[in-house]
Amino acid sequence: MEDYRISKRTLAIGLALATLLDTAGQLLWKFCVASLPESSGLWQTAEAVLRQPLFIVLAGIFLIQLFNWLKVLEHADLSYAQPITSLSYITVCVLSAVLFGEHIGLAKMAGVLCVLGGVWLVSQGKPLEQKNPGIGS
Amino acid sequence: MTLSLSLPLVGIALVILSSAIEGFAQVCLKRSAMLAAGKLRWLALGIVLFIFEALFYSGALQSLDISTAYPLGALSFVSVILFSRWLLNESIDRNRWIGLGLIVCGAALVVG
Repeated sequence: MEDYRISKRTLAIGLALATLLDTAGQLLWKFCVASLPESSGLWQTAEAVLRQPLFIVLAGIFLIQLFNWLKVLEHADLSYAQPITSLSYITVCVLSAVLFGEHIGLAKMAGVLCVLGGVWLVSQGKPLEQKNPGIGS
Repeated sequence: MTLSLSLPLVGIALVILSSAIEGFAQVCLKRSAMLAAGKLRWLALGIVLFIFEALFYSGALQSLDISTAYPLGALSFVSVILFSRWLLNESIDRNRWIGLGLIVCGAALVVG
């Protein structure tokens, strides 16, 4: 394809955005759940969720995430794009340490290195094996 | 006694089930993204599956410790790649398999 380079850059932006949104969603989720009253019934939980305005933000993030992800999947194989989003494990881990004071031990550091190495290996492959049937037809 | 023995097993089964659902849901989203016709149908199915996944995973957290449930959640990377191969006919070379193995181990370590 002549627009191969352009689509590769678009893909990189899409994947970065997917990772960022995933990170924001997970951290916000953590924060929201922590703000819920402990050991309450389903009804009380639902009420608390509706009162917490951050849950609306969370729902918005999920929607944008879904839309962005569908765009990414137009440019990449699922087996290429999805493993790369595991980068959010690293960002969530690091940001949890910064924001919530969670400890990063040796095992977590080893995990971060493994994820980095794995993502690097996956990213070396071809993003899209076969042209999508139906696209542009 | 039986209850305390079987509850974790139920939890593990639920995590495996929700991982499998994640794989299938992602295949639905990919179908929605690449097909010209029936986009909405696949998208809707994918979203419904994600809701079921969340429900099953929440169920798993009732009977499983977070320190077990979170690392097991890394299994969804395996199910996504297996479903990509089986249902979408994506070819996965050696590097991608090795990378995936590293990711699964790494993700499990990070949340463990």
